[in-house]
Amino acid sequence: MLRSDRVFGLVVILAALAYIASALQLQTSFLSDPMGSKSFPIGLGAVAVLCGIVMIFKPEDEAEWPAPVAILKIFISVVVMVAYAYALKPLGFLIPTTLAAGILSYLITPRLTFNVMVGIGLAIGLYLLFRYALGLETLQAIPKGWGG
Amino acid sequence: MKTRLTGLATAFLLSAGAVQAAECIAPANPGGGWDFTCRQIGKILYDIGQVDKPVQVTNMAGGGGGLAFASVVNERNDDGDLIVAASQATATRLAQNAYGGATADQVRFVGAIGADPGVIVVAADSPLNSLDDLMNAIKAGDDVSFAGGSAAGGFDHLKVLMLAKEAGISDIRSIKYIGVDGGADAITQTIGGFTTGMTGDMSEIVGFLKSGEVKALAVLTEERVPGFEDVPTAVEQGYKTVAVNWRGLYVPKGISDDRFNEWGQKLAAVAESAEWKEAMAANGLAPFTKVGGDFQSWVDGVIADTEELSREIGVIQ
Amino acid sequence: MDILSNLALGFSVALSPWTLMLAVIGCFLGTIIGALPGLGPSNGVAILIPLTFSLGLDATSALVLLTSVYYGAMYGGRISSILLNIPGDEPALMTTLDGYPMAKNGRPGDALVISGVASFVGALLATIGLMLLAPLLSRVAYQFGPAEYFALYLLAFCTLGGLSSKNQAKAAFAAALGLAIATIGLDNQTGMPRFTGGNLHLMDGVDFLVPLVGLFAVSEVLIYIEKQGKDSSLGIKLEKVTIPFREIGQSFFTMLRASLVGFVAGVLPGAGASLGSFLAYMSEKSIAGKKGGFGTGVARGIAAPEAGNNAAAGGALVPMLTLGVPGSGTTAVLLALLMTLNITPGPTLFTDRPEVVWGLIASLLIANFVLLVMNVPMVKLFVYILAVPPSLLLPGVMMISFVGIFSLTGSYFDLLLMTGFGVMGYLFRKIGIPTVPIILGILLGKHMEDALRRAMILSDGDVSYLWSSPIAIGLWVAAIVGFVAPMFLRPILKRPDRVID
Repeated sequence: MLRSDRVFGLVVILAALAYIASALQLQTSFLSDPMGSKSFPIGLGAVAVLCGIVMIFKPEDEAEWPAPVAILKIFISVVVMVAYAYALKPLGFLIPTTLAAGILSYLITPRLTFNVMVGIGLAIGLYLLFRYALGLETLQAIPKGWGG
Repeated sequence: MKTRLTGLATAFLLSAGAVQAAECIAPANPGGGWDFTCRQIGKILYDIGQVDKPVQVTNMAGGGGGLAFASVVNERNDDGDLIVAASQATATRLAQNAYGGATADQVRFVGAIGADPGVIVVAADSPLNSLDDLMNAIKAGDDVSFAGGSAAGGFDHLKVLMLAKEAGISDIRSIKYIGVDGGADAITQTIGGFTTGMTGDMSEIVGFLKSGEVKALAVLTEERVPGFEDVPTAVEQGYKTVAVNWRGLYVPKGISDDRFNEWGQKLAAVAESAEWKEAMAANGLAPFTKVGGDFQSWVDGVIADTEELSREIGVIQ
Repeated sequence: MDILSNLALGFSVALSPWTLMLAVIGCFLGTIIGALPGLGPSNGVAILIPLTFSLGLDATSALVLLTSVYYGAMYGGRISSILLNIPGDEPALMTTLDGYPMAKNGRPGDALVISGVASFVGALLATIGLMLLAPLLSRVAYQFGPAEYFALYLLAFCTLGGLSSKNQAKAAFAAALGLAIATIGLDNQTGMPRFTGGNLHLMDGVDFLVPLVGLFAVSEVLIYIEKQGKDSSLGIKLEKVTIPFREIGQSFFTMLRASLVGFVAGVLPGAGASLGSFLAYMSEKSIAGKKGGFGTGVARGIAAPEAGNNAAAGGALVPMLTLGVPGSGTTAVLLALLMTLNITPGPTLFTDRPEVVWGLIASLLIANFVLLVMNVPMVKLFVYILAVPPSLLLPGVMMISFVGIFSLTGSYFDLLLMTGFGVMGYLFRKIGIPTVPIILGILLGKHMEDALRRAMILSDGDVSYLWSSPIAIGLWVAAIVGFVAPMFLRPILKRPDRVID
């Protein structure tokens, strides 16, 4: 029977083998170093393979996977986070934070006015907190060269 | 005193012209040598009026300084208000091609204003009393091992290997060396008897030397270090090895020669200040001032030497 | 009475209306920094170092301010652990295990008060230990070589067997994954990069805060989005906050034992607060046995890790002050601060600069009392966090996490990595892979491998070197008798209990 644990066990084995393969590529040490760079990672990979095998042969009860709507919501929030990661530096703090916080807020409880307020409020509030109370100098409110 | 300083500051300001707010990148997390360099030099530059706004210190950790190096070369190559903390570790890593293909000529080395002399120490109760004792023990095949704050092939390790080469030991690669998390850790392992000796910098051993828990077999400078006159140099014991961990700065390649020289003068002014002398004394640094073109050619020489030795022991192919 | 006169000297240096005010400010800032995910004690202190310079504080004032922040952050880390199941910093990781269940059971106030008192006891005992024993204890570090450290880390991983006894394969996989993540970056021994794929951002390895925030904070938000608030502490009905004297009394001996375990772990450089709280929790769990109900929200399960991690934070100051060896990230930053103030810690610090050492100890005591007085009344305020609408609170937690991680290196790369860990944490929680061992693996993995390799270099590959000293043998015996053997015996004796994630 196909269960999540079995699929995951297989993924673990494949990933562990890839990890071992990449460990084998490591340059050998040039000095007296009986273990070298490889032994420890290879040992870890072997342990992980064993764990994967156990998961395949002794799977637990099936996990409860979310409904399609919830999966879509989770997918959107992950996309928002990735976009936020890329946008934070070039676009400054305020604009990406307003958008990201607003969208996440909407995904949790859709109440448009409130979500917009959350976005704007968090952007300004957190900027003040980090920049002035905690003195984090690396934070730019708006992109360089926008006159601020 | 204060009026004199202000007067001095005004004089410098007039001579240097209008100066912008400078930024100093410490290519590591807070704590440790590079951070210290940026914060001290930045603070003194402002205190003695070499810059008219406090120097902003940015910590850019990554790749043992490689991330900062790449970012300076690629993104800020003509930024005249940028200085970056550097040390012997920067030179060693450049020599060993540890910055992903980056080379020393992609930036300009402004100067060094202090140096941490290399030392070799053993536990106070060790039967070894001189470099000769130590090297003879290695030659005799005794179980001799070293701990140091750098990885194998790093500067602390190279100090041992340079000495061993001077001693005429042929198989220097088989000398046991463990790289631990910093000099204090290395000294702890040595006092605990887990390793025979510790290789590191003078600043790392000052307290332990004073408390009598270790004895220094040699300091790797041309002459004995002021304040530590009873520690013999390797040179006077017949080993022509000099290794100091200098502390200094580099700047982007693309700035004008005038600006480069200006930074050299500013750095020299820091080196002359009473505040820096006090900071050096408190941290076990020895005076070591080289600025401008003089320093650049000295660094080039160090890098070439390190590269040769590294190739010989196989750190690089 | 040397100690009393020294202490008097310390208080004469550290106690004035001005420094008291700094202590209050520091404790408050520290509590907030500790509670915010992604901002732990070490980057909290690091962020504030420039502030002390720009304020022009003298050495004593700077020290009082930053030790208050340090202790405050150690206190504060527990708040988000208990209320939101998101550890504010890595030593507060273990507090999620019983703190969050207790909050979900409708008793967030009790959990906060118990943990606050436990933090106080741990920190107080550790400060007293530091005062009485520091010069003596510094010798302990000399007894720990590579073999002993390896055995210590091994003990920590063996106790994982007791963490989730339902599916050992999943727990073991999680630990191996954490250890594997720790192998990314420059190899400490050879200085060569491993598993970085040539990416400069990975050269110094993965900062443990990135997976910590990803696996806990980000995945918590994803779980909430999926379940729309079912099975969460948010929106539970709040009871009136009272002081649960009975449970505090019952966990008194737990606090004492946990403080001792934590303090010893803290004294060893290379172990630190996380190991302290972990070992304190696991040893109390095995003392309590199955009846103890650890993992379901019991007082002792909250008291143990909190007393442990605060005691470890105090213990970590021993090697930092007497040897100049920082036992943890935070003490490394405090060390940097001392050095910028031209104070070089080392074996002679206690005799050369008594005013610094005793001033520091006095300021630790001050900070500790300020925190206790501040924290118990503030509990009422903290629990209202749970009454904040989730659609405001959770985006707030997310954005704070992002900024906290962004402040580490100022690069988008860590943010992407954190999001990746968030998705991974979500999937793992779905299929029952515990996440605590992953973090433990990341925190200790590098140290464990380094210790093993150093041992092998020094012994020319002779494995028996690993159990060649009384201390090492003792740790091996503790690991095998205390944790590995019961793991195999338990299925014979009892039915397996439930998995904890």
